[in-house]
Amino acid sequence: MKFSNLARALAASTLLAGAVMPVPFAVAQDGKTITGAFDTGPGGFPKKFNPLAATGGFTWFSIYFEPLVTYAADLSVIEGALADSFEVSEDQKTYTFHLAEETWHDGEAFDAEDVKFTIDLAQNPDTGSVFASRLSDIESVEVVDARTVKLTLSQPNSALLADLTQLMIMPQHALGDVAPAELATSTWWSEAPIGTGPFKFDEYVTDQYVALSADEDYRRGTPKVDRIINRYFDNPAAAVAALRSGEIQFTYVEPDDVATLRDTEGVRVIEGNSYVVNYVGFNQRVDLWKDVRVRQAFLYAIDREAIITALYGGAATVAQCGYVAPHLVPDGITEYSHDPDKARALLDEAGWGDINGDAPITWLTYYTSPQAANVMAAVQAMLGQVGINVVPRVVDVPTYNGIVYSNDDAGWDQFPLIYAGIRNGPDPASINIGLNSAQLPPNGANIMRVEFDDLTAAFDAAMSETDPAAAEGKWQEVCAEMNQTLPWAPMWVSSRYGVASDDLVDFVWTPAPAGGPYAAHPELWDIAQN
Amino acid sequence: MGFYVARRTAVGLLMLVALSVLIFVLLRLAPGDPVDAYINPSAPLSLDELAALRERLGLNDPLPLQYFGWAAAAISGDFGYSIQSAGQPVLPLVLSRVGPTVILMASGLAIAIVVGLAAGTLSAVRRNSAMDVGLSVGSFLAISSPPFVTALVGLYVFSVQLRWAPSGGMLTPGVPFSVADLLAHLILPAFLLSLTHGALIMRYMRSSMLEVLNQDYVRTARAKGVREFWVIVKHAARNALLPVVTLIGSSIGMAIGGAIFLESVFNWPGMGLLLVNAVKARDYPVIMCATLIIGAFVIAVNLLTDLVYAAIDPRVKVG
Repeated sequence: MKFSNLARALAASTLLAGAVMPVPFAVAQDGKTITGAFDTGPGGFPKKFNPLAATGGFTWFSIYFEPLVTYAADLSVIEGALADSFEVSEDQKTYTFHLAEETWHDGEAFDAEDVKFTIDLAQNPDTGSVFASRLSDIESVEVVDARTVKLTLSQPNSALLADLTQLMIMPQHALGDVAPAELATSTWWSEAPIGTGPFKFDEYVTDQYVALSADEDYRRGTPKVDRIINRYFDNPAAAVAALRSGEIQFTYVEPDDVATLRDTEGVRVIEGNSYVVNYVGFNQRVDLWKDVRVRQAFLYAIDREAIITALYGGAATVAQCGYVAPHLVPDGITEYSHDPDKARALLDEAGWGDINGDAPITWLTYYTSPQAANVMAAVQAMLGQVGINVVPRVVDVPTYNGIVYSNDDAGWDQFPLIYAGIRNGPDPASINIGLNSAQLPPNGANIMRVEFDDLTAAFDAAMSETDPAAAEGKWQEVCAEMNQTLPWAPMWVSSRYGVASDDLVDFVWTPAPAGGPYAAHPELWDIAQN
Repeated sequence: MGFYVARRTAVGLLMLVALSVLIFVLLRLAPGDPVDAYINPSAPLSLDELAALRERLGLNDPLPLQYFGWAAAAISGDFGYSIQSAGQPVLPLVLSRVGPTVILMASGLAIAIVVGLAAGTLSAVRRNSAMDVGLSVGSFLAISSPPFVTALVGLYVFSVQLRWAPSGGMLTPGVPFSVADLLAHLILPAFLLSLTHGALIMRYMRSSMLEVLNQDYVRTARAKGVREFWVIVKHAARNALLPVVTLIGSSIGMAIGGAIFLESVFNWPGMGLLLVNAVKARDYPVIMCATLIIGAFVIAVNLLTDLVYAAIDPRVKVG
């Protein structure tokens, strides 16, 4: 009894903690709101707001901004967005865009001057634009009339339309007075950006979320929900936890979580092509990989089918070159099926014992997911069986980039071998930057320092082909050349996943590289209210 | 006393300068810079623009020049601009995160102190009872569970399964601010933060109390007929508190470490989350400023602990 006060105090504080716990946290919101983790996962660009400087996040950007043209939701074709329609001249050097009638979110009319203004900004590296070199073939931008814009190119560029899908059109009346060099650090992007998309920018609560509200006079009709909120999460697992607890309705999800989510009631898993080909890259500046037989042995040693079955649940396609899309892969190329005996024989022929023997070879990667760790462990074991001793080294993205982009000759030993992925579609030209000998750093991202003349010639031929039908054949030649010379050991193209609440209606999402953009039509998204 | 505080403050300032040099050098030694953090490895860019970006950010200047440039500006209160969130001045950005971190740490430590002291005292007074054994087992469990386990298990149990608390964030997006909403978001991370510290405080308090309860002056107090409750609270607990105060002081420093982890798991918009994201993006100006503020805080808390210690125990003299 004597300590009853103390005991009571303890009991009371426990009770207090318990009483606060069940406070209903799902505070009711006015109107219909869709909350998602739109910038989570590899296509996201979280907490960054300048689309001119964006390397991702286009799913989210294209909800409040719009490009001239965009991919269809299945990424098969490029269709009009802010341009109702467009024509390309026969010589592929003139592009004419017919613009839609639309107003900016502040009520000002959108017209051809805005398009010219945006392309000028994007071509000016002072603005922090990452489009400058990609748009360098555009010689002039002519405002024909308020609703028509004509681009003239110095040479045909088969990638131009694909590049334009990521160029969000900016309002001249809002940004015209800002000096280009100040644009990169302007707070306009995160405080009061004005676009033409179906939703208007409301607010950014630092590191927490961005809220958009419906643009009621959007040309394709008033959006069906009142607000869309993009919540930021440090990792996909945290976003999945929020989805499971009912706080958000959509997120990207790591393949590891897909199996359990498929069995979860109330949510559906969305599967799509990642358009990223995973490969094991051979640093051509080190002596280990000079002999093509070593590179072939490498592929024969790895049982890619088994890895796909066991670690990807079958949701990946074995790659024999940089592509897996049937129209880009020619018949009759070598299928490097698992054959450890052949691998050993090839290594013997090449004299692997003298080249390296069983000395450990660092295998660098920026992939930090548990799935990637399992994949690398499996490959390490398979290579070990034929006498190639690789040792995975996992680093974060800045460290990885710091290592692989360095042109210091003493640094090649830091990454004799890498495990990486590179975008291979929907535009097949995407991998040129990683394999063409003209793209060696600092010009491009040919980080494996691949200087194969025939391969470069094949890329150049495909890149300059203006006839779409003929281009397909040229890309097949690139594939065949990659298949024979093996500048890297191609692994597979896997699926990527999102998971959405069953409450979402007409919701469109696909794991497009860099987030797209694609015609997601957010104005049609709806949410069933319980 | 005044001289002591002034001396300790001066030493603290020197430590901050040393800290800034250390962090600056370590950051530049780490591979990768802010521009490297910007490149998406699977969708690479031509590097011409990135080189221009490096030049604009002043990353090509010699290191000492970069440091003194930073230091000169920092002394006048200008910590530069965040690289990852383009255009945001660093100091307001970092200061805006102090509040949320203080809320989380203060709540976590308050729970830890109240529950830890009470449970430790009870445990000592009811030594070897079922309650003592229960509390001891619980406290050992809490001490030996690392925060990354308790945070994730707590998140899974209380948010995902029981849905008692939100899984992250400080406020529900898109609704007006309310204290109830804040508390709902706060309670789970604060509770988890309090676990280890509360358990540690409880263990210290228990053993300290056991020692004190056998002292002559406690027996004397009982013999004088003082009620048992007051014997415990006035005579025993106050003396038993001394070693615990030191522990609480150092707990505050440790709690910052725990808070950094909890903020990442719960997406709590504090200094910890800011710092983790800044490191990922190699956002040098933010890392420098946030580290210095945390350093200054820890130095100040240590000084304060020594002063409080003197206040509780008249035998201790500072200076």
